[in-house]
Amino acid sequence: MKRRNRMKKLTASLFTAAVLTVTVGGADAYAEELPYDTYNYTYWEDIALTPAAYVPTGTVTGQSVGTTGFAEPQDLCVSPDGLVYVADTKNNRIVVLNENMTETIRVIENFNRDGAEDGFDAPTGVCVSEHMELYIADSNHKRIVVLTPEGEFIKIVDNPQSEILEDNFDFIPLKVTVDYADRVYVIAKNAFEGILVFESDGQFTGYFGTIDVKITLWEKFWKRLASKEERSKQQLYIPTEFTGIDIDSDGFVYASNIDSDGVQGVRRLNPKGEDVIQKGENENLGGDLIVGMFGTYAGPSEFTDVTYRGKGIYSLLDRKRGRIFTYDREGNLLYIFGGLGSQEGTFNTPVAIESIGDQIIVLDAYNSSIVKFGETEYGSLINDAVGLRYDGDETQAISKWQQVLKLDENNELANTGIGKAYLTAGDNEAAMKYLELGMNRKYYSIAWKRHRNEILIENINVIMTVVIILIILNIVYKKLLKQKIMEKRQEKGQKGGLA
Amino acid sequence: MKGLFSKDKWKYAFYTVSHPMDAYYEIRHRDRGSVPVAVVLVMLFSFSFSINRMAASFVVNNVYPLSVNALTELIAVLLLYLLFCVGNWSITCLMEGEGRLKDIAIAVGYALTPIIVCYNIATIVSQFVAADEEAFYWVILIAGIAYGLLMMLMGIMQVHNYTLGKTLVTIFLTFIAMFIIIFIVLLFVDLITQVYSFFYSIYQELIYRM
Repeated sequence: MKRRNRMKKLTASLFTAAVLTVTVGGADAYAEELPYDTYNYTYWEDIALTPAAYVPTGTVTGQSVGTTGFAEPQDLCVSPDGLVYVADTKNNRIVVLNENMTETIRVIENFNRDGAEDGFDAPTGVCVSEHMELYIADSNHKRIVVLTPEGEFIKIVDNPQSEILEDNFDFIPLKVTVDYADRVYVIAKNAFEGILVFESDGQFTGYFGTIDVKITLWEKFWKRLASKEERSKQQLYIPTEFTGIDIDSDGFVYASNIDSDGVQGVRRLNPKGEDVIQKGENENLGGDLIVGMFGTYAGPSEFTDVTYRGKGIYSLLDRKRGRIFTYDREGNLLYIFGGLGSQEGTFNTPVAIESIGDQIIVLDAYNSSIVKFGETEYGSLINDAVGLRYDGDETQAISKWQQVLKLDENNELANTGIGKAYLTAGDNEAAMKYLELGMNRKYYSIAWKRHRNEILIENINVIMTVVIILIILNIVYKKLLKQKIMEKRQEKGQKGGLA
Repeated sequence: MKGLFSKDKWKYAFYTVSHPMDAYYEIRHRDRGSVPVAVVLVMLFSFSFSINRMAASFVVNNVYPLSVNALTELIAVLLLYLLFCVGNWSITCLMEGEGRLKDIAIAVGYALTPIIVCYNIATIVSQFVAADEEAFYWVILIAGIAYGLLMMLMGIMQVHNYTLGKTLVTIFLTFIAMFIIIFIVLLFVDLITQVYSFFYSIYQELIYRM
């Protein structure tokens, strides 16, 4: 008991010391005032608190950019020239902000279509293509409007015609994105078969990236037991819908979805519509690994949007707990930040995420605001190191990883990165140490194999000498034993002879 | 006591490994076995298990180090051992088994010998293997466990003088018996707690009123 008390005192004093250093430290003090926890999951799926990768740097509202307030905006998009397009849904307009989101450049409320004035009705999605064409999912008008960035009418994509569509299919586009060949990918309401794809001429070509329905054995069993009447009353097993969409420069589509199992909340679809995303060691791309079972905060993360940030890095926005999860190409969870709340830097109803340069911006529908997040040293180091690895430049990544380790000693990715570097440099023992800390069995095993060979080669003389000596000793011992037995037999024989 | 732990009894555990059928027969009919040795073997098994979980090399070991606790594992293994022996005894008593509780305890305890040996060998071997040589480790481990289970089966068969079919049936029933025992124990513990809390509240009531 006494000892425990002493321990308590010790931890208390240590804690005070830590707090003091942090407050005195100053430079990183803002990290302590963050309105959310920043953490990551270890290999053992424990929560490990980490430094913040991103910190809130400001909030943008309609008023702050010199126009009337937004009303339940649903989507935002960053154009190739850096402007921010906001789909201001309830106000039926598109607001274009400048790069720093300090002022409005223009507001697109209506457009001139073949001489007639036309407007939007609840635009829920917006996207600017590589060729600087503005695509707007005009949901209540059931069409995609294509304009120039200045608001001049180009074309309209609507009314998909195909045998695969149901007869009474109502085309209500929610989100839209465009690839390098001007193919249009649309997430539509009640289109459970996947993403609708339109060719650049507006021709509907088919569904894309269907999510398979998972039926458990148990559900099958009940279905079998149920009568026809009961079956008709049961819920239909329909795949989940996609919630957000983004596209990378190679034309791979990143699409987020709500996974009730919390296993895979995002897909990377190749041009054939197959999911080619890479999963990390724990085979999980579902956000939070530890979730509560009861209450409003319970259940797995619900991803509502995804943004591809280059170098294989993508961020997912969880509307359930307002967190932003960032993964790299290999499916490693890089960092987590963000949260729900009413403080500045937190969200109420996050709906869309984008990245501009080293900033991440999140659109909050209920607060009608955009929350900006800026990179910290920790975040930028990780981004750089992962980017260097993506480019295949692992040796240059070492110094970055070493700096990451200074900020976050237990970072498994950093340990693995350094371990791999030692492995290529030929220092197998150090490689083993770091790879074990990074919990990377595959590369640890390679390092160990090489280290084992080194030990063997160094000690081969000793080992062989010992083996040879043992063999000789064995032979000698056996001979002596034989002699002794023979002698004993002879003795016995003599005795027997005497008797 | 010395007789129970004598060198002879220890050696007999290894004789059991090499000649299970004969050895188990003699355990039942000539008292060659020893319960203390069996209990020590069970404890050794528990330690080997913990050591393996803790010290097997990183390449083959996917156990969260903080989840290893030799003491709780020892208690769990001993309780399971007790439960199995009692469960088996209570079933075989009803099914014309010839074995005494003592014989069952020895049969199960001695059957752990190959498991103990293989667990420790595997732990040592694991220090030398790389990822693509994992198979060596697993072969040793699984062979040990398989032989141990086989010995357990033979032991129970032999001490009760059963046929193989009857042994399998009794082992299945043993597991049911174990569940029943656990259920009754939990029920009993719950009852005792309630009785205890009842008297405790009376006591508190009295204290406050005095």
